[in-house]
Amino acid sequence: MKPRLVLAAFIIPLGLIIAAVPQNTTRPYKLTATELLDEVNTRTQFVTPETVADMIIKKDPTLQLIDVRSQDEFEKFSLPGAINLPLTDLLSDQYTELFDQDVKMNVFYSNSTLMANEAWMLTRQLGYENNYVLEGGLNYWFEAILNPQQPASTSADEEFARYDFRKSAGRALGGEATAVQSTDGSVAPAAKPAIQAKPKKKKAAGGC
Amino acid sequence: MGPLAVNEIISENTNFFLAFIIGIGFGFVLESSGFSSSRKLAGVFYGYDMVVLKVFFTGAITAMLGLLFFSLFGWVDMDLVYVNPTFLTSAIIGGVIMGVGFIMGGYCPGTSFCGASIGKIDALLFIVGLFIGVSVFGAGYNWWDELYLSGFLGSPKVSESLGLSDGVFALILIVVALVMFWAAEWAEKKFPRQEY
Amino acid sequence: MTESTNTKRSKYLNPYLGGVLLGLVLLAANFIAGRGLGASGAIKSGVVTVVTAVNPHAGETSGFIREYQGAHGGSPMKSWLVFEMLGVLVGGFLSGALAGRLKFKVEHSPKITSARRLIFALSGGILFGFGSQLGRGCTSGSALSGMAVLSLGGFITMMAIFGTAFALAYFLRKNWI
Repeated sequence: MKPRLVLAAFIIPLGLIIAAVPQNTTRPYKLTATELLDEVNTRTQFVTPETVADMIIKKDPTLQLIDVRSQDEFEKFSLPGAINLPLTDLLSDQYTELFDQDVKMNVFYSNSTLMANEAWMLTRQLGYENNYVLEGGLNYWFEAILNPQQPASTSADEEFARYDFRKSAGRALGGEATAVQSTDGSVAPAAKPAIQAKPKKKKAAGGC
Repeated sequence: MGPLAVNEIISENTNFFLAFIIGIGFGFVLESSGFSSSRKLAGVFYGYDMVVLKVFFTGAITAMLGLLFFSLFGWVDMDLVYVNPTFLTSAIIGGVIMGVGFIMGGYCPGTSFCGASIGKIDALLFIVGLFIGVSVFGAGYNWWDELYLSGFLGSPKVSESLGLSDGVFALILIVVALVMFWAAEWAEKKFPRQEY
Repeated sequence: MTESTNTKRSKYLNPYLGGVLLGLVLLAANFIAGRGLGASGAIKSGVVTVVTAVNPHAGETSGFIREYQGAHGGSPMKSWLVFEMLGVLVGGFLSGALAGRLKFKVEHSPKITSARRLIFALSGGILFGFGSQLGRGCTSGSALSGMAVLSLGGFITMMAIFGTAFALAYFLRKNWI
């Protein structure tokens, strides 16, 4: 009889406490200020427009573009497949699922990189990985992809390759009915950024 | 801080060594509680010995509360702790088959090792049976791999599926368990028992 | 047969105390290794070791072996569960030795023979072994450890195991009471 009562006397209050504590407090900011500054300094959060264009063309299902501007701006122009998540709504509960996963690559974009960076900072601080910022924002996108500058004839091969890629990407994304010029893997710029710059902490295998 | 091995605070070899130590603790507690006896284990199904229910639920609740509080204090990152995935069909069918095996054999893998360690020959045969069963599964894998992989729901928590917070669910479970403990004491008084 | 409700006379630990200790061991496992306890996985490691020792290329024909090798690099026996189960043997032995419970015997109800008990033990083991692979865990790994982390799959498997055993208990009562 007695052990049961002792046990109950302990676990009931503990249970009440843990039930009363709001779940959010068990998920504090995950990164220290130093860690976050490191990441900012190494610019790991940026994704080049070429990479994104490539993924859009190839219909890569792991890409998720997120437009953090206002709804009006989104309706005027948005990138293919993008969803609109105005910066002001970033922390609302309905979007937690969007960030709290490790399958899709979320790429924030805005006109420049200001708002997109803010979105990245906030989500990164909450510990979510797999969030990136479109380098240069839409302004650079228009310049680079939709209206690529022809490199001077003295430029390196790489520049020409990039130009070719951007031209065809621009054509594909500009909505023209032409088939995409064949850009085999060697023409497209270097491999997609690995989903994590640091080796991701792998969960231990378990079960059995 | 935790989990130590995942955050690479300890090396993989240390992790394995500690696994051994944890195993010693596991085996010691199980055996001391009487889980090395198949007759005690089977008692929960007939009412004469409810040790399985008491130990099992007390253990699960203790660990559950421990993890929730550790997470609250920031001592462990629950995102890095393994949560068993849910493959609905195979979880149920596998569970049913295991249930048959349990009531027939009177052991489960962990307790059979305990029983074998103190010399129970029936436990030893159970272990032999385990090896055979696993081998049969492996050999015929191609026949049931579809079944094995179907019904994948990710790794949801029960609290999530019920729309409750972890803490609230833990409290509910505690209350349910306490009710069961009182019922268990009643059952043991009602059904005669011997000490095995 | 004496009714023994006075747990002090029992040579076993009080079940609630045992439960708390078990919970602490499980907590330690999660804190240290990021995973819960388990048992059936060690059997799987053993089977894979034997099979690949006999046929090193087994992974090519068997999806089962291949899946295991994909998840575990290196020697199949070098897995967390194997080390843990070795510890279980030692721990169980120590506890049994301290309590004077070490004895080779076939434990069975006086109403049945040893042989019958052994046959049921073996068949039960075969079924449990098969089921544990399908269910991705046994009572330790799926049910106990799963419950501690609130896993839905763990709960479902636990209810399936105990529910089925309860349902069949009546038909096998002669083996136990």
